[in-house]
Amino acid sequence: MINPRIDTTAGVIVQGITGRAGRQHSRIMKDYGTRIVGGVSPRMEVRDVNGIPVFPDCRAAVDATGATACVALVGALQLLAAIQEAVAAGIKYLVTPTEGMPVHDALKALHLTRDADVTWIGPSTPGMAVPGQVKLGFLPNDSLRPGTLGLMSKSGTLSYEAGYRLAQRGIGQSVWVGVGGDPIKGTRYADLVPFYAADAATRGLLIIGEIGGHEEEDFAAALIQHRFEKPVFALIAGRSAPEGVTMGHAGALVHGSHGSFESKRVALNAAGAQVFSSLGEMVEGVARRL
Amino acid sequence: MYIIEHDAKELLALRGVPVPAGCLVEAGIAIPAQLPSAGPWVVKGQITMGGRGKAGIIRKAAASEELERHVRSILGTTVRGRTVSAVRIEQQIRGAAELYLSLLLDAASGGVRVIMSDRGGVEIEAVPANEIKSEVAPLNADALAACVLRLAGSFQNVAAHALRNAGQRLARIFLEFEMQLIEINPLFVYPDGSWVAGDAKLVSDDNALPRQAELHALVESRAGVYPEAALKLAHGFDYVVVDPDGDIGLLTTGAGLSMMLIDELRTVGLKPYNFLDVRTGGFRGDPARLVNVLKWISAGRHIRIMLINIFAGITDLGEFSRLLVTALQQVPEFKVPVVARLAGNGLSDARRAFEQAGIKLYTELDEAIAEVQRQLGAA
Repeated sequence: MINPRIDTTAGVIVQGITGRAGRQHSRIMKDYGTRIVGGVSPRMEVRDVNGIPVFPDCRAAVDATGATACVALVGALQLLAAIQEAVAAGIKYLVTPTEGMPVHDALKALHLTRDADVTWIGPSTPGMAVPGQVKLGFLPNDSLRPGTLGLMSKSGTLSYEAGYRLAQRGIGQSVWVGVGGDPIKGTRYADLVPFYAADAATRGLLIIGEIGGHEEEDFAAALIQHRFEKPVFALIAGRSAPEGVTMGHAGALVHGSHGSFESKRVALNAAGAQVFSSLGEMVEGVARRL
Repeated sequence: MYIIEHDAKELLALRGVPVPAGCLVEAGIAIPAQLPSAGPWVVKGQITMGGRGKAGIIRKAAASEELERHVRSILGTTVRGRTVSAVRIEQQIRGAAELYLSLLLDAASGGVRVIMSDRGGVEIEAVPANEIKSEVAPLNADALAACVLRLAGSFQNVAAHALRNAGQRLARIFLEFEMQLIEINPLFVYPDGSWVAGDAKLVSDDNALPRQAELHALVESRAGVYPEAALKLAHGFDYVVVDPDGDIGLLTTGAGLSMMLIDELRTVGLKPYNFLDVRTGGFRGDPARLVNVLKWISAGRHIRIMLINIFAGITDLGEFSRLLVTALQQVPEFKVPVVARLAGNGLSDARRAFEQAGIKLYTELDEAIAEVQRQLGAA
């Protein structure tokens, strides 16, 4: 079973810490309470970012700090190598926000992380959070609130909006995982169904999906297979998207009935999930049940 | 990216896959006097959609008058909102059996799924499951080749031979071009075991384009056919005109939230013009992306207002708002009112910049949408 509820005392390193995103978000994560213990950058002249020591590679960072988790903030074509490096150094929990990773690279990384028993969240993910305790990635503080709703999302921005509105209504999250919008990824909705079923702090589950691929349908099948008994809600974007055009995310492509809104709605309803096609309805629907 | 059949076949032919002799005829261009084959022919509308035969944009022609008539009638046809702007004329294949062969990235099982059947053709979805053979292989050449051999071995004589031969060739192409999908249906096979790809559906990976020189060149040379991929290559973000008659330009970031906003605007009867995932996190202090977007939106014939919606995660709203003010000054042809909704990192900085520029700023999306409705209704 994949367990995304990271140990809040785990040491976290940041690959690419000397870049723009690395500098900014290592600080924001640290301020949130995440134990950022080191950074990685091949730029030898930088030894320290925001008071965080910088190492030349993952192996050195892990040896010096005992880190077990890693956030990789590197370019899309460098991401596979960064994942290989982190896994070889013994990292067990890996978050990779980078957008644009080639999907064949993602498939290679998937085999690598599975074989090494590494929890991999990404690519193209805003990250994950246990609100009030720890976050790995970019999830904005305005949207995070400790609570009982499990949340999984393909889209970063849409989940920020959803989390923010739910938080305004007093509904917070137990564990929030941005699975990401790419077709091949480390962790899919269906992979986390057993975790959310067993997690005592989770009283309901919201997935924020979008057109394209088969992931919402596979999630629906997993709900049935695991006899998931908590209330499940789904918000699906892209109902009015044109066929045959990739809508921003590499996975968001409808061809024929494959990946269509209707296909997802039918599968989710059959598994007992409530499906919404607007943010306002979703917030009201969740508020009524939780 | 979904590659049109003609380009897919040219690509496959260059790698030694037999395809029917054919040529592309675009709207407004005459049919070549010298066709690549003698009749009979098939005229096939080139759009990135399945079900073309059922939609009436694939037709057979025995004589040249009939050919011209089909070309004229198919060009310009609209199918589910997409207009056919080119047709492929190719040799009609006769006296061959129809098989099915595909390779696709299978997200659920984390491998490459190979699918074969000796009952291909347009009714493939009606073929009983036990007559379709399928197996998942890891993403490497040896494993994929072995998988193709095993599957092909479960068919008879000529079908087995053709599926083995075609499958091995296509597996190499799948890896070389980093494809997400290759589907050949029908795969024509003659009684002597020789074969030809009757149709070809290829979905490539936009993310791999920077290191796929041939596909990169294809997109650049055919920007009219692949406008979204060409734009992304040139500018690094996604922009799609979803309704040429729309009157609301959207300045948005994030694919999911941008799609959702379009859905919600349409639900309340409004007409958004474009989808945009401008990736505000990647501006690096340069207003160029915003300048381009403002120009493109200005080019919409019916644009009456622009709605900005940014929920900042990786983005710094202070930087975004300063760059937007600069960009607005650089695009004098942009004249419509702007309604903005911003939330997240750096909001207070953004508030100051927008106040100075006289842009109305909301923090709740529903309020911003209501303001757009009010302004459109009042005008």
